Amino acid sequence: MKLGDGAFALLLTLPGFALLCAVVVYPLVSALVSAFFEESLLYPGRDFVGLDNITAVLSGDFLRLLGQTMTFTVGTTLLPFIIGFGLALALNTKIKGAKALRGLMLIPWLVPGVVVSFLWMWIFNANYGVLNALLEGLGAIGAPQAWLAHPDTAMVAVIVAKTWQSFPWMMVMLLAGLQTVPPELYEAAEVDGAGVVRRFASITVPHLRGIIGLVILLEFIWNFQHFDIIYVLTGGGPAGSTHTFATAVYDTAFRGFDLGMAGALGLLWMLLLGILVVLYIHFSEKGEK
Amino acid sequence: MSIHSKGFGPLSRRGLLQFMAVGTGAAGLAACSSQGTANTNPSSAPSAGGQTIGSSEAKDFSFASWSISEEAAKPVITGQLEKFGADKGIQISPVSYPFNEYLNQLTLQVRGGQFSGAMQLDIAWLATMSALGKLRDLSSYAEGRGYTEAGLSVGQVDGVQNGLPWTMGAIGLVANAELLQKVGADSVPSSIEDFEALLRELKGLGNGTIPYAASTKVAQLKDVQVWMQTFGCSLVENGEVTIGDEASIEAVTWYKKLYDEGLIGADVDRFDARSLFSQGKAAIYDDAPVGRAGVVADSPDPELASKLLPASRPVLNSGDAPRALAWGHVVAVVEGEAADTASEFAQWLTSDEETVVAYFEALGLPPTTEEGLAADAVKSDTFIADFSERITATAQPSPFWVYPQYGQIDTAISEQVQAVLVGQSSPADAMAAAREAATALIS
Repeated sequence: MKLGDGAFALLLTLPGFALLCAVVVYPLVSALVSAFFEESLLYPGRDFVGLDNITAVLSGDFLRLLGQTMTFTVGTTLLPFIIGFGLALALNTKIKGAKALRGLMLIPWLVPGVVVSFLWMWIFNANYGVLNALLEGLGAIGAPQAWLAHPDTAMVAVIVAKTWQSFPWMMVMLLAGLQTVPPELYEAAEVDGAGVVRRFASITVPHLRGIIGLVILLEFIWNFQHFDIIYVLTGGGPAGSTHTFATAVYDTAFRGFDLGMAGALGLLWMLLLGILVVLYIHFSEKGEK
Repeated sequence: MSIHSKGFGPLSRRGLLQFMAVGTGAAGLAACSSQGTANTNPSSAPSAGGQTIGSSEAKDFSFASWSISEEAAKPVITGQLEKFGADKGIQISPVSYPFNEYLNQLTLQVRGGQFSGAMQLDIAWLATMSALGKLRDLSSYAEGRGYTEAGLSVGQVDGVQNGLPWTMGAIGLVANAELLQKVGADSVPSSIEDFEALLRELKGLGNGTIPYAASTKVAQLKDVQVWMQTFGCSLVENGEVTIGDEASIEAVTWYKKLYDEGLIGADVDRFDARSLFSQGKAAIYDDAPVGRAGVVADSPDPELASKLLPASRPVLNSGDAPRALAWGHVVAVVEGEAADTASEFAQWLTSDEETVVAYFEALGLPPTTEEGLAADAVKSDTFIADFSERITATAQPSPFWVYPQYGQIDTAISEQVQAVLVGQSSPADAMAAAREAATALIS
């Protein structure tokens, strides 16, 4: 029997497709299906409950979770972008040691998330943290502050830690974009009397528009699903004030052992994520054209 | 069509398919053979375990223990695993997670059939693990080994011996006698009022001293339930959750007052408390005897061991019995191919006199056998004697332990208490919400 090229190509993709089904599709579908069942990790079996779990999630903490997830996502996208862009602009000039600085600034990005979390946990620790010692030394605070134990500061602390980890990636991407801008454009604009701000607004930003959109959208999607730094730093506390969809799904499934509610939360989370992914695909296809 | 594979010449389509088929077959064979890799050793002399029951063929198994993650306990436990393994000619694979993650991780592994062997369990978790239906009944391994009645009872769920008791005690107050002396106190007062006054004096010592490093993080905020009991709340009565009553609200209001006045520290769990106490930055904290080894070992003060002062928890009214939470570890066995050997190990680890006394000498964890408790090393330990007299004597198990959802109940209550501490909820609202959540979990 002879195989055609198409059939042969299909045959070659089968192992990869089977692997994808086994490690991605099956667990995903299985988790989402659990949204329609009452199912506990502690007991075998499950009962079909229709949309009850989804209704319960929507009438519960969903809006608070959505707000907190958006606060975290927007904060950890915009802050690293601003810092990364600023550093990329600085490193794109002919300052001394630019190459060494570029390498050094990549370190936070190379450090695993859990290590970053522990590092910042020590910095923010209420009882023996570096930040309290520093601020007390400077006279900025009179007594140690519980940065991670107060709802007003815990989310800010988590955003700071994630920003420290993410800004190098933003910086590298934007720096790569900056290096594609022809220097002649700046020279010509300078000759025409354009100042620094005008050159930035009229040459740099339009030239980087595509890459800026892409890095912001990608970072937004990643942060929307981010788990490790939040979980290690605060575990979603205090009093649930730093829970996002990612930590709430984990907590519901693996601490609350309630697979049904976790599945329902995961399903709604995935729908929201789906909108972002569609945006990304639309944006990247537009960029290619 | 042919594909050129560098170094191997052209590879035909038929050859590629044959290659894939051979690879798939080999992978299948490897998978099949991996199921039978248990090291069986027929020469399993029962030298380590003494009285042994079950299969004569010793087999490799896993031993899960959070203590293996802890610096002070790791060498002691791994030494015990090696000793038993060497005597039996088998390998015992240690499995470990930090205490606060342990139950969740192990529940997932046991439920998914990924773990079999022996496991260390907190006595509070036995009902949860038992609900998975995979624990072995160890009654026959408990017979004739001299376990105390109290020890055997903490290893039972609905009358079934699901665990063999390894160590038992309580969680109670431990103070630094030197810091107390600095404010003119030689003991922890017996009334709440005087206790509060002592904490204020200790705060006056300055230097960042936390008078009472009570738990304020969700992970160990279960400690507040003992204070609720001290204020008169029964937690559960006739199957009904009583949190939300006046006593529990009063207890949480008092705890919040201590928090606001800085008499207890923010962002503290058991491990933070041990660390602060060890560094001389906290005067009093809650712990079981298990904390002593790490606290003493990590302290810059070489004399700290002699300054440890176990103390009865203050009471609301004179004549009340001081409250303390029972504490202990059991070793349970998950059914599987090597369950017989794992059960022998559990029996040896928890009842062999030489082993339990050595464990006590290294870590200060009280044994659960009559022989072990009568050993000179145990009887002559003044810290344990004082701890037993002042704390363990009146300790009670939590009424929530009988529920498999104990962990979730604890978390639900702790989250509400934390909401009060950080000012997001009032004590009355939070306790009402805690009652609702706990009731939903046990019904």
